[in-house]
Amino acid sequence: MSMFGGMEISASALTAERLRMDVVAENLANAQTTRGADGQPYRRKEVVLQERAASFGASLSAAMSQGSSAGVEVAAIAEDQTPLKRVYDPGHPDADAEGYVSMPNVDTVTEMVDLISAQRAYEANVTAMQAAKQMFSRTLELLR
Amino acid sequence: MLFDITQLALERAIEGAGKRHEALAANLANANTPGYQRVDVEFHGALASAMERGEDAKGSLHAMTFAPARDGSAGAQRADGSTVDVESESAKLAANALEHQAAVQVAHARIGILKAAMGTGV
Repeated sequence: MSMFGGMEISASALTAERLRMDVVAENLANAQTTRGADGQPYRRKEVVLQERAASFGASLSAAMSQGSSAGVEVAAIAEDQTPLKRVYDPGHPDADAEGYVSMPNVDTVTEMVDLISAQRAYEANVTAMQAAKQMFSRTLELLR
Repeated sequence: MLFDITQLALERAIEGAGKRHEALAANLANANTPGYQRVDVEFHGALASAMERGEDAKGSLHAMTFAPARDGSAGAQRADGSTVDVESESAKLAANALEHQAAVQVAHARIGILKAAMGTGV
């Protein structure tokens, strides 16, 4: 790992947490979308994070046992497979024969909690990055 | 003897704090990773035992390396299997940065003393 390993680790987390915020925003924006890209109602998306292995070629389990970590990465953006909400709205163009519309399985409260969680995690990693920056510049003071 | 064992130990402490920062930053980065086991770098113990041996410890101080290890002693496990507590990691990170700063400042002051003795000014 390079001299700036600490900053790279925090940077990987900033990328991951920002993606989480983007996905929350997408979920909220599509909370009422009954026609997604595939013509079906929108399904809530969720970011799956995994630990980034320290070195290329080394298997994750080997890196895990050594204890070295190179930050975090996005493993997948998964679709939430919980059932869609059925709302009675016979006037809706997407209503079925019984007058029910399948609405996205997005819960606004859950999304807001996820948003706050991602935001706080982002802030914590910014603080860690600032600490790393200060440590490097202090080490350079040895040369003065 | 230009650089004594204390100066060597200070350099190792600076290196160890740097490595520990990487481990703690990785813990914070994985704060939302399910099943993540926190890592830490233990450099205090090795340094302290080397310092106890006095001048004989010079060789071992030179050869000392610090590697992160999974922390099996981590207390409460979260519902998602992670052992990271953001508050405790942040506190450790702040303390570690201060420790690093202290080591750098003492090392700097000692170099300043050497410079003064050489007549090159501080």
